[in-house]
Amino acid sequence: MDKNSKLSVVTKGFLKENPVFVLVLGTCPTIAVTTGLVGAVSMGLAATAVLICSNLVISLLRNIIPDKVRIPCFIVIIAGFVTLVQMLMHAYLPDLYELLGIYLALITVNCIILGRAEMFASKNRPLDSVLDGLGMGLGFTIALICMALIREVFGKGQIWGVDIPFLKDHTIGFLTKSPGGFLVFGLLIALSTVIAAKQGKPAPKLGCAQCPQAGICRSAGVTDDDCAKTEGGND
Amino acid sequence: MKRSFSWSSIIVLSVICLVMSGLLAVVNGITAPVIKKAEDAKANGALAEVLPGGTGFEELDISEYTLPSSITGVYRADGGHVFKTSVTGYSSGLQIMIGVNGAGEVTGTKVLSSSETLGAENTYGATTVGQTVATIDGLDTVAGATKTSTAFRQAVKDSLNASIILGGGTVDLRTPEEILKDSIAEVLPAAAGKDFEKVFLVEDLGEIKNVYKVGTDGYVVEFDGAYAGISNDGTVGVNNTTLSSDKLSAVPAILEASVLTDVDISGLEISDKITSVQKTASGNYVFMLKASGFGINGDAEYGISGLPIIVKTSVSADGVILDCLTVEQHESDGIGSVCENADYYSKYAGRTEGTLDDIQIAGATYTANGYRTAVSKVFEAVRKLKEAGK
Repeated sequence: MDKNSKLSVVTKGFLKENPVFVLVLGTCPTIAVTTGLVGAVSMGLAATAVLICSNLVISLLRNIIPDKVRIPCFIVIIAGFVTLVQMLMHAYLPDLYELLGIYLALITVNCIILGRAEMFASKNRPLDSVLDGLGMGLGFTIALICMALIREVFGKGQIWGVDIPFLKDHTIGFLTKSPGGFLVFGLLIALSTVIAAKQGKPAPKLGCAQCPQAGICRSAGVTDDDCAKTEGGND
Repeated sequence: MKRSFSWSSIIVLSVICLVMSGLLAVVNGITAPVIKKAEDAKANGALAEVLPGGTGFEELDISEYTLPSSITGVYRADGGHVFKTSVTGYSSGLQIMIGVNGAGEVTGTKVLSSSETLGAENTYGATTVGQTVATIDGLDTVAGATKTSTAFRQAVKDSLNASIILGGGTVDLRTPEEILKDSIAEVLPAAAGKDFEKVFLVEDLGEIKNVYKVGTDGYVVEFDGAYAGISNDGTVGVNNTTLSSDKLSAVPAILEASVLTDVDISGLEISDKITSVQKTASGNYVFMLKASGFGINGDAEYGISGLPIIVKTSVSADGVILDCLTVEQHESDGIGSVCENADYYSKYAGRTEGTLDDIQIAGATYTANGYRTAVSKVFEAVRKLKEAGK
């Protein structure tokens, strides 16, 4: 890969293949932690760290891990790194640890990470996998920040926990609740689609490729079309 | 093929599990002590605040010790103890946490909850830092917030005493009333458990400043904190004092023989604070006084209540106050009302005209001034009574 394509590996996660708005992965933590910027940024960075580490290790082991047990292997590796981040955060950033709560542990089952392991790291070289992890992690973080910015500013009248004059007295409390989160989420998906369309880059039709289970489905003889007929979900 | 494939799956998965477990074990080894320390610090944050440098706090079961009743919890640390106390200041529920180090000094205080009105409890704590059981009684209370600061000081004193008890020492936790009761029972066994009353002294008994009459069983005298029991017939029971038995055995007869006669004070130019005078056969005078209270300073009208403080005082012919008693008062509750405590009015006993100035009530200057002004009028009255041959 030349330099440009390496850069595109990183930047594709920002908008073109943004894990949250385009791939619609990791919705659960996205809704949960985006009531405030602090939580959003720290969750994004924690997930990025796990993504980079797990992508690197999985890429290194991609020729050793047997196909049949690759999902359990990925889960063990990802869970290991999540626990590691959890322990370090508990020890050195206790306030953030309490803020993120259960959602930190749930990074383990965050589809973005398992999805990237399955879609990218298990098929690409370590450096590219690290860059992919970085790009996707930052894309996840950017998405969380966008969501949190809207929800915190208009829902709480604050930014990074600091009160904003006027807005503080005119908050839209609904935005801080889960339904409000879904509303903002939907609007941002629409916005990112519009932006992508204006740039002449329609949202990629990734089909089953984005799904961590795609390999299993294919080996069972299920096609993308079959899959599309069923109601699938992420997370 | 299939079989070997399965084996490799098991081995690879197991190895990955083992490696990740090992990695986690290493990281856990590094972070666990940090996490534990942070959690301990959080749990003990308030404790360490009042006992800086204290480590390894553990809560003690206070039911195993006999501690002052205001102590509701004790934490033992390497550097000393932290006491949770609950006292009643202006209102109940003043909870204070007090740290006492190994040297028996107050290291810090923190108000946990309070319903006090003036907020004195939030600043008074700082003045108690460094105090010991020997110095705490001398610590001034806060003028205007006497109840709060007195309760605070009591909580600190109780903590200091509790620290001594936990350190293996002994402390007399009895109240002055309990000490008196126990002492009377000791020197006059027949009086044990019976009611007694302080005798208002109208006769000069020399060193003896306090006499208690126990029903028909006899008298108990107190001298410098020591007690002696005397039966009605003059038999001296237990004598813990340095007073001679002869002197003690004479006490009942002197007291029983004393008779007061009213003195006509009409026409005499004495202070209008004096409402009536009586005289003993031995030449001592007993005055009834009305003193000004709070609201008006010193030698003026009566206090906000419009009612005077009624004081009874006895004075020897040569101008020494024999005894003093607050009969009635209407001063501010908890402030000027301190004048009805024996602690206050008994300070007048033994005083002369020139030695009254230092009798004060912290936070109730007007009450104390009015009281003292009224008492000070008796000396001139004694002179005039004597001149008039009364």
